[in-house]
Amino acid sequence: MKVVLKDLLKRFTNSDRAAVNTINLVIEAGELAVLLGPSGCGKTTTLRMIAGLEEPDSGRITINKRDITDLAPKDRRVAMVFQNFSMYPTMNVYDNIAFPLHAIKLGRKEIDETVREVARLVNIDHLLQRSVRQVSGGEAQRVALARSMVRRPEVFLMDEPLSNLDAKLRVQLRTEIKRLHQETSATFIFVTHDQEEAMTLGDKIIVMKDGDIQQAGTPHRVFFAPENAFVANFVGTPSMNLLPGAVQKTASGAYRLQLPGFDLALPARFNDGLNNLRGDQVIWGIRPEAIRLAAETGENCVSGVVELVEALGSRDLIFARVEDQLFRVIVDALDSTAVGAPCHLRFDGAQMHLFDADSERSLLAEQTTAGTG
Amino acid sequence: MRVPKSERILAYVILITMASLVLAPVLAGSITAFKPQIIWVSSPPTWIFEPTLENFEFVFFTRKGWLYLRNSLIISIGSVALALILGVPAAYAFARFRFRGSKALMQWLISLRMIPPIVVGLPFYAMFLNLERTFNIGLRDTYPGLIITYQTFLLPLVIWMMRGYFADLPAAMEESAMVEGYTRLGALLRVVLPVVWPGIVATAILNFIFAWNEFFLALILAGNRTSTLPMTAGTYIVRTRVEWGNLFAVNLIIMAPVIVLTIILRQQLVKGLTFGILE
Ligand SMILES: Nc1ncnc2c1ncn2[C@@H]1O[C@H](COP(=O)(O)OP(=O)(O)OP(=O)(O)O)[C@@H](O)[C@H]1O
Ligand SMILES: [Mg+2]
Repeated sequence: MKVVLKDLLKRFTNSDRAAVNTINLVIEAGELAVLLGPSGCGKTTTLRMIAGLEEPDSGRITINKRDITDLAPKDRRVAMVFQNFSMYPTMNVYDNIAFPLHAIKLGRKEIDETVREVARLVNIDHLLQRSVRQVSGGEAQRVALARSMVRRPEVFLMDEPLSNLDAKLRVQLRTEIKRLHQETSATFIFVTHDQEEAMTLGDKIIVMKDGDIQQAGTPHRVFFAPENAFVANFVGTPSMNLLPGAVQKTASGAYRLQLPGFDLALPARFNDGLNNLRGDQVIWGIRPEAIRLAAETGENCVSGVVELVEALGSRDLIFARVEDQLFRVIVDALDSTAVGAPCHLRFDGAQMHLFDADSERSLLAEQTTAGTG
Repeated sequence: MRVPKSERILAYVILITMASLVLAPVLAGSITAFKPQIIWVSSPPTWIFEPTLENFEFVFFTRKGWLYLRNSLIISIGSVALALILGVPAAYAFARFRFRGSKALMQWLISLRMIPPIVVGLPFYAMFLNLERTFNIGLRDTYPGLIITYQTFLLPLVIWMMRGYFADLPAAMEESAMVEGYTRLGALLRVVLPVVWPGIVATAILNFIFAWNEFFLALILAGNRTSTLPMTAGTYIVRTRVEWGNLFAVNLIIMAPVIVLTIILRQQLVKGLTFGILE
């Protein structure tokens, strides 16, 4: 089921800022789309409007060309898993899963079969007679999952269903949700503020901030081709190194970037964007993974001092100081250096990002035009 | 929770002392209810005697106590039922929706509880009188008249108590049910009510006890047809003497349901009054 949000606007009465600010979004049938963004950016509000729990001030919502904007939640044929609610406390696991089936007239036998089948799918078929008090948080979340599936909806809405679980369980359930998505081939809209969760789950990631969509695209594109400085900074851990700088056109037509304490040659792919830039102020970005520790200094290389080393397992996160700037650098643990050691950082030109300092938009022409890709 | 033994003993001593102070007169009176008339008042009081039910028989049949008991039951149960029917949905609305003036309205409701009954009773009397004269609607000395009047005191209590219970539940509970195929009312009936049920029971009991014990409004607005038990207790204090045995027999009849209700539903009552925190 294809979900389309058109000019969706929601402003809460006691707020002067729109919680969801006229967003447009297309989620293709069968896609697992992840709404990602910091707290308060409007993810839940967006989801609740799709579910019918919140009434938009304006805009339309369609599911497979059916306009559902004015329908009651129960008539939308969507399912929702909530962040802070999993089980109806007065019913046992079985009755919880059967609950949505009682809303439609179904025979006792059919209900029983469906409940057991769905319970098996999420591995809680041995818990059916348990009460709320007798299940763990992870099991309760599975019950919520089962309950959402039992009517075979074609659109699943999930609002941070894993955020209350411990790290290990979270990863485990994440995999199961991915598997469910593949088995049901339904459309999933999944909300999270955990960008790693978004990366591993999503076919498409929609990055939001202050009620606006910043970028919508594959995890790959969002990570490697962020359309603006916010996305660049928000996606990826440890986050991208971002520095303000000024560009200069050289006699040859190539651009150089002046950063505090050093300068760099910019790759030619930025030329179109830079030719259209008003002024010379930019934000330069490079991911910690795109910086190498070099044996000696050279072109696109700068010298600094290692200030802190954090072990991440097979890799180390190094904080290297260059002038006033602390660079985050990811290196193989075997290639790591000691605190206080001098180092040379080499920047991979192919993995540099450049943003207009005013608009914070990417200076790569192909990206600035991309809407929802 | 572990409490040191010495503290526990101290607590019991204090509680027993307080309970005795409160209960001694009640107990002495209740015993009198079973005494034959000759020893109602004897000095010193007689404690050893053959208990009799003649006082109960007298107030119940000769003085039509069963009729007043019936009135009391009808009025109390009726008022509580009406207060719950109106108050529970109102409490839910207050808990879930913010609307213009909702906060002020809640505060106004609690202020109603603080008004002395006379401030309410006389205007109601005047109102009923006018209704009678102008529209020929008789409410004085009727069950509906008293049941309506009692709402002034019962409704705020129902709304305040039940709003607390509803507000404690995550809104996602009924929202989940709404997405799963139910209307808001359906969700309320099927998932919310079963959860707040102990709270409703506690609310009902507290309100029942209020209506059951109410004396002043009944005195103003009830009459021969609708006299309640507490109103009739006074009739055993006549100018020349007090019919102690009969008076205490009536008192026992008044107290009995309150005591029984409290004992049967003690756990739910505690849960209800403490909003579940003492579980
Ligand atoms: N019922 C409400 N009344 C008033 N303002 C609200 C309401 N619900 C949300 N908001 C506001 O709308 C904005 C978006 O909220 P929303 O819950 O959609 O954020 P979110 O992205 O889900 O955040 P989180 O990650 O913390 O769950 C926030 O500024 C929030 O304060
Ligand atoms: Mg949220």
